[in-house]
Amino acid sequence: MRQATRMAAVLAILGLLMIAGGPAFAGQPKEVVIGVLYPMTGPSAQIGIDAVNMIKVALDIINNGANLNLPLAKSKGLPGLGGATIRVVAVDTQGKADVGQAEAERLITQEKAIALFGAYQSAVTTTASQVAERMGIPFMNADSSSPALTERGYKWFFRTSPHDVHFSQVMFEFMKDLEKKRNVQFKTVAILNEDTTFGTDSAKAQEDLAKQFGYTVAARIPFRSGTTSLDAEVGRLKSANADVFLPSLYTSDAILLTRTMRNLDYNPKLLIAQNAGYTDPKFVTEMGKEAEGAITRAPFSLDLAAKKPLIPAIDAMFKKLSGGRDMADVSARAFTAFMTLADAINRAESTDPAAIQKALQTTNIPPDQLVMPWTGVQFDAKGQNIGVRAILQQMQGGAYSTIYPFDLATKDVIYPVPAWSQRK
Amino acid sequence: MLQIPSAEVLIQGIMNGVLMGCLYALIAAGLSLIFGLMEIVNFAHGEFLMLGMYTAFWMYTLFGLDPLLSVPICAAALFLLGWLTHKGIIRRILGGPMLAQIFATFGLGIFLRAAAQFLWTPDFRQIAHPLVQGPVKLFGISIGLAQLVASGASLAAFAVLYWFITRTEAGAALEATAQDRQAAALMGINTERMFTLGWGISSACVGIAGAFLASFFYVFPYVGSLFALIAYVTVALGGFGSILGSLVAGIMIGVIEVMAGLLIAPAFKYVAVFLIYLIVVLIRPQGLFGKF
Amino acid sequence: MASPAVPFDEPRPRRIGERILFVLLLLAIVAYPLVFPLPYYRDLGIKILLYALLAQAWNILAGYCGQISLGHAVFFGVGAYTSSVLQLSAGWSPWVGLAAGMLVAAVFSVLIGYPCFRLRGHYFAIATIAVGEIVHTLAINWEFIGGARGLTLPIQPDSLAAFQFYKSKYIYYYIILALAALCFLITWHLERSRLGYYLRGIREDPVAAQSVGIPITRYKLIAMALSAAFVAAGGSFYAQYLLYIDPDSVFPLALSIMICLLVVVGGVGTLWGPLVGAALMIPLSEFTRIQFGGTGSAVDLLIYGGLLTIVAVFQPAGLVGLFRRLRRE
Repeated sequence: MRQATRMAAVLAILGLLMIAGGPAFAGQPKEVVIGVLYPMTGPSAQIGIDAVNMIKVALDIINNGANLNLPLAKSKGLPGLGGATIRVVAVDTQGKADVGQAEAERLITQEKAIALFGAYQSAVTTTASQVAERMGIPFMNADSSSPALTERGYKWFFRTSPHDVHFSQVMFEFMKDLEKKRNVQFKTVAILNEDTTFGTDSAKAQEDLAKQFGYTVAARIPFRSGTTSLDAEVGRLKSANADVFLPSLYTSDAILLTRTMRNLDYNPKLLIAQNAGYTDPKFVTEMGKEAEGAITRAPFSLDLAAKKPLIPAIDAMFKKLSGGRDMADVSARAFTAFMTLADAINRAESTDPAAIQKALQTTNIPPDQLVMPWTGVQFDAKGQNIGVRAILQQMQGGAYSTIYPFDLATKDVIYPVPAWSQRK
Repeated sequence: MLQIPSAEVLIQGIMNGVLMGCLYALIAAGLSLIFGLMEIVNFAHGEFLMLGMYTAFWMYTLFGLDPLLSVPICAAALFLLGWLTHKGIIRRILGGPMLAQIFATFGLGIFLRAAAQFLWTPDFRQIAHPLVQGPVKLFGISIGLAQLVASGASLAAFAVLYWFITRTEAGAALEATAQDRQAAALMGINTERMFTLGWGISSACVGIAGAFLASFFYVFPYVGSLFALIAYVTVALGGFGSILGSLVAGIMIGVIEVMAGLLIAPAFKYVAVFLIYLIVVLIRPQGLFGKF
Repeated sequence: MASPAVPFDEPRPRRIGERILFVLLLLAIVAYPLVFPLPYYRDLGIKILLYALLAQAWNILAGYCGQISLGHAVFFGVGAYTSSVLQLSAGWSPWVGLAAGMLVAAVFSVLIGYPCFRLRGHYFAIATIAVGEIVHTLAINWEFIGGARGLTLPIQPDSLAAFQFYKSKYIYYYIILALAALCFLITWHLERSRLGYYLRGIREDPVAAQSVGIPITRYKLIAMALSAAFVAAGGSFYAQYLLYIDPDSVFPLALSIMICLLVVVGGVGTLWGPLVGAALMIPLSEFTRIQFGGTGSAVDLLIYGGLLTIVAVFQPAGLVGLFRRLRRE
């Protein structure tokens, strides 16, 4: 009986918690709610946390004003809506498609979100944006790179960032340009990809482009993400001995890959990574030395600060919230997309979803208001930003420097990458 | 489908498989020990490994202590954790149904993982400059020095464990308890103390493995689950309760994993491991060295 | 397998008050979507029933027959993929697809079960994990069924034939209610039938069961096929409800574990355990995630994991066991 009573007590307390903890509603009359979906637990949790921190920076700029060259920084709140502020409701999707769907619905119907924002993993973005499409609510995506997302013919889906085909295209253009510049000849490429949607889409795009650009795919190696060892994978890459090595993987696997390549003495002359793990700030600070010479595509680079004064200012604000982590690829993309959405709401001068949709369709943000090296933000009929421009960065002396396109480059390309045995 | 890599790559692969296998074996040994003792599978075992790795990481970050030197500290910390787990949870579910046992430890695993994220964020961390790192040439083949040291240490830990069980009085008492709880109690062995000791030793093993693993693998709250799955299969392949079985099965799995990756396709390397496990237990339902 | 999961669940004569309570509960379940018109709460109700169905299906095999499978997500995925692939490539109605998924899963479960039933206790449990991981990996690498990218089902106007009721979501609720009710009815019948006695006999003492002439492998396979078919029905429903599936959302080990976890919390080998478990744990996990998930500090999982351990340690017979004890005292 004692145990039974104890158990009943635990349950009773739990019930009380559930009642007492109901969501508290802020009573401000003039505020606009945006629902934000990100993975905050699970292996991609850090990415979601970074993105949400960056959204807080954007909110600070919009709601409280700041001394920056951004239209929305000049005043407090959204001038188009009579100074209304934006409130964000951030939710954890756990990286699961069904949670993304349920949360999207809840955010719209209960939290009264007038727009949704998220959701990193392409699978979650797929289901969450499906809800927005059916309910007629704008969905802004900052960071899912699956090309299929903007091929669905949706009217309410907008993506500011480049997708895998854009990203991979620039790699192959770079290879061609480097061949001319250095008078070398590449014949084969080897592709290594983790096996979720991201890696699979990326590898598919690269395989197609390789054919288009006249390269032979010497090996295409998918592997289970979050593996305990990459010995077999690197062994295969050694056997393939391709001229250019193209990995698409997340942070954990990128760390493991770098160490395994060193241990097994695998020396590709050129390594061009598909972002993700390679641009994680943690990877840069801790593996910087070991990953010397690695090239990655990126939509963003900190070393563009000299050309864009916005970058250091926003990086400083971000660092205060993130516990010292630098603004990086994902956070910079989240910032850009969020400001784009806020800009559209402001121009719509209304919280009516259709007005916001219309404003988004006529978005035209000039390059000097972006932290990105893009030519601007303008959406095509599919909702894809056509101002995107991917850059390539190379790890040189423990930090990334922009090396391509050559007109944006801050450093010259190191080629070939020195073999492990020749490094200090 | 079948691809034949060069001899160098093949030999390198086998060596790596053996090295990683030794570590798998040490992780599995603790699981096996507990099962032999009280027929309980610790489904939080992966999280114990994760905590061992974090202990090594924090020793390095806070006190500059290399993982090689913090091995005793990791072992002691995890011994304590195992002790507490038995006292706080396992002792109460000993006579309970198998499912309750599974989910008590499973819940503990979720709890520990969440606690690690709560305390230390989900960020990936690593030991930036471990004492042993980089490649080493063995018979002209390049392999990881840290892996070599880790596998050597695993074998040493196995030797100590084996010696402890077969040659010491406490070990004999442990073995006696494993074979027949009631008879052991009649002989004057304090079985409760044996169980606690078993949990302590089991966790210490995984703590040692965690320290060595931390010198070359990244650390984050979910790292344990990557290794835990392999550990369960290792234990079942070797035979629940057999320490020697864990060693053989661990090395087998390490080699199968690399060979399947090299010869068939890396995407299917775990499929090969699981398939071979299934084939073995279908022929020998008690595993390679299991007693029942 | 040292001790039985729970004491025999003999049907007992019920007091009149309990009967009234029972009818009221049924009414509440039927009226739920009418009382809660907001989509989120309807979605919650649908999820509770879906998981109750999966949990009950698992309970048939594990609770009554004593075979602990930690790989039931395989059947969920088989159901989801069978109906989706048939719809996309052959234009079959999702309803036919649902039935086909149940059939495919049942056949598949027999193929897995036949060899694996030689294994006992933890060996069987880990073998099912291995099967689950193998199927998961194969699905990721099988281009025909969409590979890692999964399958997207087309959005169609709401109709019974298309199995899409977006505007009137409550129809989804009643479909899954019907499926769950069918599964519960079969289980209820099972408790009283000869088959149920055989299964419990196998759970309590397989050697004794065999010695009195029960063909244990055959009955284990029947339980397995029944269990797999209902899990597959849940999978087909999920695919139709979400209109998007990929291997990581329908085949993961975490789903297999979640299914049994609900039964453990509710009460293994009891008729109402799966429903009680789902009705408690699904809202709890939703609640903790919504309240604490947005902070990224994992407090939600902290509470969840802690609670699970507490239930397993202090109430190993599940909540149904707790109610029973309270009633007896």
